[in-house]
Amino acid sequence: MEADNRGLSYLERRKLVKRWDGPLPAVANTLMIFAIFGVTWWIFQDPRGLMRMYTPYVGYMVCRWLLILFIWLAYIFDFWPFNHGWLERTHPVVKGLVLTAFCVGAMVLLIDGFFMGLLGRYGIAYFSPERLQAMGLTHFYAEEYATEAIMMFAAIASWLSPSWVVACENAPWQKLAQPTRGITIAVVTFFLGTIIYFVTMHSHMAILFYPWQKYTAITPPYWEGFANTVSGNFHIAWIMCCTVVVWVYESIWQRYPFNLIQTDWLRRVTAFFGIIAVAFCLCFFLFYAQDLAWGLNIRGTRREMAPDWRWLHVGESAIFWLVGVLYLAFFCGNWPTKYSRPVNVFLRTVISALIGMAVYFLYYRYAHLFLGTQKGLSHPQQFPMIPMIWLINLFLVNIWFMDGWPGWKAVPKTATELDETADERVARDVRWTPSLARGLAVGAAAGAATYAVAVFLLPWVGQIQMVK
Amino acid sequence: MTDDFNTSRRDFVKGAATGAIGGTLAAMGIYSYSSSAYDRLPKVAREQQDFGAVRSVKVTNISETSWFNNAHLMEDIRTSGGLLVDQYTIGWGPFGNGKGPGKSSYADGIAPIKKMIPNDLEAAWAIQQKQALHPDNPGGYSCLIEVEDLDGSKHKYLLDVGWSYDWMDQSFKREGIDRMLQSGEIEALILSHEHFDHFWGFPVAMKYNNRIPTYIHNGFYKEGLQYIKDSGFQGDDLRIIDKEMTLIRPGMMAIKFDVPIICRVYGETSLAFNVKDKGLVLISGCNHQGILQMTSTAHKKLKYDNDRFYGIYGGLHISPFEDWDPKYDDLVFSLGKWNFERVGCNHCTGHLTAKKFVEAGYPVVRGTARFRTSSPDYLGNGDTITF
Repeated sequence: MEADNRGLSYLERRKLVKRWDGPLPAVANTLMIFAIFGVTWWIFQDPRGLMRMYTPYVGYMVCRWLLILFIWLAYIFDFWPFNHGWLERTHPVVKGLVLTAFCVGAMVLLIDGFFMGLLGRYGIAYFSPERLQAMGLTHFYAEEYATEAIMMFAAIASWLSPSWVVACENAPWQKLAQPTRGITIAVVTFFLGTIIYFVTMHSHMAILFYPWQKYTAITPPYWEGFANTVSGNFHIAWIMCCTVVVWVYESIWQRYPFNLIQTDWLRRVTAFFGIIAVAFCLCFFLFYAQDLAWGLNIRGTRREMAPDWRWLHVGESAIFWLVGVLYLAFFCGNWPTKYSRPVNVFLRTVISALIGMAVYFLYYRYAHLFLGTQKGLSHPQQFPMIPMIWLINLFLVNIWFMDGWPGWKAVPKTATELDETADERVARDVRWTPSLARGLAVGAAAGAATYAVAVFLLPWVGQIQMVK
Repeated sequence: MTDDFNTSRRDFVKGAATGAIGGTLAAMGIYSYSSSAYDRLPKVAREQQDFGAVRSVKVTNISETSWFNNAHLMEDIRTSGGLLVDQYTIGWGPFGNGKGPGKSSYADGIAPIKKMIPNDLEAAWAIQQKQALHPDNPGGYSCLIEVEDLDGSKHKYLLDVGWSYDWMDQSFKREGIDRMLQSGEIEALILSHEHFDHFWGFPVAMKYNNRIPTYIHNGFYKEGLQYIKDSGFQGDDLRIIDKEMTLIRPGMMAIKFDVPIICRVYGETSLAFNVKDKGLVLISGCNHQGILQMTSTAHKKLKYDNDRFYGIYGGLHISPFEDWDPKYDDLVFSLGKWNFERVGCNHCTGHLTAKKFVEAGYPVVRGTARFRTSSPDYLGNGDTITF
């Protein structure tokens, strides 16, 4: 694969082709990923295993930051400092190991060096376990508080970083060479992430201490009246929905419908804020769905009746959908592909949502039998996002770093295919016609009716005993 | 003409597919978190089960100090791998095996002491002094509940049996529980849940009465059930609570909550009393389900005098390790709406929570801070409260 002058990344310039016909590649990769999940979960996360990072916040932070480092390496830095020739020549397993090890090393540097070392030592005390411990907190909670704060940074980055690539198309730095482009986007998204952290999460952290740290953070936080809680989980909810919607937009939606906008700046701005708008729609629905299914939340309660938990569960539910989305996109060839793009997008949305619901059900019914966790919907120290993000990380390693080995292999795209990929950024396959407008109106009415049916059914769905 | 028709049909389908997603999302976003959406939520019907009434309930705090040094406890949890690690593997007495944090097991721990419990607890605990993590740290939670019926007759129940054999035996003797158990005055033992600090002192109770009817939540793990046997329980009356509501006696209801709990424990049982002319009194071991969850369950399910919440006693499990989370402030803000007249809190409530309750003006019944209870904000060891 030669260097591309149209701004296509390594991932855009390669094509993954199946090694075998039929569903065998998907089966092989699924089995391999689950085997690796089992082994790595036992080594790193399992409360019965070797390292037991699921304390929970240490493990939570690690899996989220690993996700960010994978995104940074593959999407923002286009695999810099690794040479693309090396990526093409090297066996996928070796690549997977080397690139993952590189990300782990970078993650350790970032967490220990930047957050705990620099920020915690010279800026904000709660990023440093040592400082918190020196001020009287137990060693355990000093680590938990610091890792919770660092984890929250990652939650924001998991939305902003890919959004800059997917929605904003790296603009206005898309023509810069690596690593200048990667560093610029990483710094800009980190800067934006810092601002968002301060207006969404800092108050949450400030309330952890007595008395509330009112001289350094807004307490009580401004969202209390709206979200019915002082917990920052309200922000986790919509930010996680943003993370999920970015990948929905990138994968199963093929950047539809915002890629119909022909004007570059308008398309990018619309996509960036459109993702946020879609995320808020999802967020509010998932919260309301819980109130419909399990009864009105009661402030001050704990577990599944508490508003703070329900906001958190919005993000958790969205992540279950993301598992379905990525599985469909990565291992099922973004099936179906034979219809027009809008129809494909619609069908994939329905199918991935069904997969997400199935994963949700299976997780709460059976996962405690394998993960070393406990059965139950809500446990104050259990976060289904940890195993789900761990699984997603393995998906990414397999597809991004290992070219889908063993079921797939990477081959260079032809010149025609490269042209098509470049053209994909702006779609021209849907044009405004009276028939389209009529379809839109009928579809919108059907969508609203579907929503009404869901609202009608959810109280009944809530009666299903999911946890046994 | 056919081409036009096909194009038109294709465009319509494209529009419909796009509109379906857009319409669903728009409805989600516009309606879901609106006031009209919440106006249509059905009002929850109150079942208001009549479960009788009692004249009064007196609670004697035998011990609320489950551990004496929070930093030591948390260090044991940290070095074992965090809050999800199985309690039987952490290495605390009586299941320490001397191999270090997180490397113990029920089988390892019970083997050397099995023949000693319940009759030679000193020797059993002495072994654990050598093998367990921070062996002087355990205390325990236990209280005596005296229920006065409407006819004036009195009935005694023991809620939980603490942790350390040594500390609990001392505490039982201090409050005369040893004699009450031996004489059969205490009618039943209720184990709120399987946690170390509420349950692992079980052999101490068995030492004085190994046939006492005992209630346990049906979420006990196999190690817990085995411990009941290994502790010398000879009774034929192990009452496994498997329904949400279990009437213990008229006016006294056990409420079962199926909740996963830290250190691999499942489920907690709490108690509700209808005190004649006063209202509902709630007593809990740890209240892992949450005070307001319990309150709201009682509100929905039970009928009680004056339709009023009167009192609450026990561990309220808010900041047990002197940790904090913003959601705990949600509770501090909200508790006032339920208008409890008397709040007797201790144990896993957390000193910071008790302090915030006092600051919020809640009717916290203060204690005497005796027998190693560290703050008068808690209803402490040896203190009593009568509802």
